[in-house]
Amino acid sequence: MKTFLRIGFIVLLATACAKNTEPELVPVYKPTPDTLEIPYGFPTRLNIPDDNPLTKEGIDLGRLLFYDGRLAGRASEGKFMSCFTCHIQENGFVIGKPRPFPVGLDGQPTRHAMLPLVNLVWNEGTYGWNGSVKSIEDDVLAVITDPTEFGSSFLAVEKAIREIPGYPVLFEKAFGTKEVTVERIAKAIAQFVRTMVSSNSKFDKYLRGELQLTQSELNGFVLFTTEEGADCFHCHGGSGNPLFTTNLFYNNGKDSTFAGESDRYSVTGNATEKGNYKASTLRNIELTAPYMHDGRFNTLDEVIDFYAHELVWTPYIDPLMHHIATGGNQLVPSEKEDLKAFLMTLTDTSFIQNPAFGKPVSFPGEKTMILK
Amino acid sequence: MNQVNTLWFQVPFPFKQIIFWSVSWLVSLLFVTACEKKTSEPPDTSETRITIRFEHRIDGQKLQYDTLLYVNEAGNPYMVNEIQYFISDVILYPHNKGPVTINEWKDIHYIDTDLPTTLRWDVYDQITAGQYDSVGFHFGIAESENISFMYPNPPERDMFWPEYLGGGYHYMKLNGKWLPEGQSIQTLPFDFHMGIGQIYDSVGAITGYVHNDFPVILKSSQFEIMPGETKEIAIVMNIENWFKDPNIYNHDLYGGYIMQNQTAMQKAKENGHNVFTFAETKN
Repeated sequence: MKTFLRIGFIVLLATACAKNTEPELVPVYKPTPDTLEIPYGFPTRLNIPDDNPLTKEGIDLGRLLFYDGRLAGRASEGKFMSCFTCHIQENGFVIGKPRPFPVGLDGQPTRHAMLPLVNLVWNEGTYGWNGSVKSIEDDVLAVITDPTEFGSSFLAVEKAIREIPGYPVLFEKAFGTKEVTVERIAKAIAQFVRTMVSSNSKFDKYLRGELQLTQSELNGFVLFTTEEGADCFHCHGGSGNPLFTTNLFYNNGKDSTFAGESDRYSVTGNATEKGNYKASTLRNIELTAPYMHDGRFNTLDEVIDFYAHELVWTPYIDPLMHHIATGGNQLVPSEKEDLKAFLMTLTDTSFIQNPAFGKPVSFPGEKTMILK
Repeated sequence: MNQVNTLWFQVPFPFKQIIFWSVSWLVSLLFVTACEKKTSEPPDTSETRITIRFEHRIDGQKLQYDTLLYVNEAGNPYMVNEIQYFISDVILYPHNKGPVTINEWKDIHYIDTDLPTTLRWDVYDQITAGQYDSVGFHFGIAESENISFMYPNPPERDMFWPEYLGGGYHYMKLNGKWLPEGQSIQTLPFDFHMGIGQIYDSVGAITGYVHNDFPVILKSSQFEIMPGETKEIAIVMNIENWFKDPNIYNHDLYGGYIMQNQTAMQKAKENGHNVFTFAETKN
């Protein structure tokens, strides 16, 4: 009895102030938290999921996977594909080829032109041209099985990465376990993509007072931000919105019919959103051709001409497209040149040359595998 | 103390054991209960607060969006697609007392008909119970508070007014479409956007700016709030009045955009005094 009482007493004292939670598993590796520095004028609200915070190890792993052609899980067929296949840094993280590119591993072209991977940490949950993708993680998972992209399976991808010497330990460092899953693959890539911030274009430097724009560029900036000019800013931002997109969806007067579209209407069912697609960011726009959701324009000149003279009226046209009254903004050639000059100030060479976003020098197990 | 010690030694051994362990258990139980989470205090039901709803009507009826249902005073058939605007410095006028400005942590409120959460403003401030004679606010953002880059995040961010045109933020974007005279089907967009206007010289250079924000005192906006009550009131935008009184605003005349048309914005500003009304909602 005495012993029982003593033990009970000791146990009670020992547990008296303990939390009422399950004991946490302590990973062998504890990933190092990482943070993003918010550039001048950029949004302070970041979209980083609670279950996938940025860590140095996660970002490093994501970068490797982003660039590793074995990611598709089809190396045994002699087929290699990764995010890098289509999202090429020097092209502002698009493929930089006219339609029908890109094509998937089975030769099928993707359904839409590509959106650049830039400043996505400020997208608040509507990824893709119609906003149907809720997160970067979801997008990675969709790419794996999409027949117009990897055309693979979760199992094949997990097996491929698991069997490459060196990867499991990197997963352990990033996530506390060597177990390779597609969810962790998606998380790592998403972490890496969230670090891809472009904030050092000529226009950014102008806003920070570090340099002056040329007269032609300034003229173009005025055209960009005035209703009597080209009025681009309502949908594409400007000095007050340096992302150069609202991340919202608009019918910008490209087409007269909308049958079979993968537009915003196909997501929301709201008939007023027929023909609506995301206003893509204009950052690095000089590099990210082809343009529009279907890649119909191959040059900036074609795009500027479209907005100047070729708008198509339908009942669905966005109310912000007030220049539809005259078929376009009617810019004259010199104004078109000025507008183009301004758009080219949005090119961020430090972003497209940043080694932190570039292809890693080496990959796990690369001595045993052929990389593409 | 010596007396206590003496008494303790007089207690027979088995009883000493029982007393010792009983005291030990009581002490440890005290530890356990001391470390339990504190339960939250029951809410203070005596708080007196105010909630402001924002309603949008045409001709006294709830606005129906995206439908060519309405005709303005100039005879233009029109529809409204969305309205986004700021009000600021909401003021309550207590009976026989000085005005009270609702400060909250921010004194500018954004309303967006595409975002239902913005259509209801649960004001943080406690309100003094009693009779109030009227309610007022500022339409848009007053010059001293209308500072470029103060909103880095959406949706307010997307209201920015270009620096070249005066900077700061749109007071309002009222986006819709109207049927021009002579047309039977083809509606055209109108962007009834208000903000800082510009004064241009003869060659089109900007020589000055005009702040088009204005104060509003809601007519017949007296109400009573009881101690502990959360009073819900509504600020109603009667959209037809933007185009009506004292200036008849004709879309055929002013076209689809007015950010660089101070004449049009001045007329809108003058009409704005009659646009907003007050409504009280029973709890």
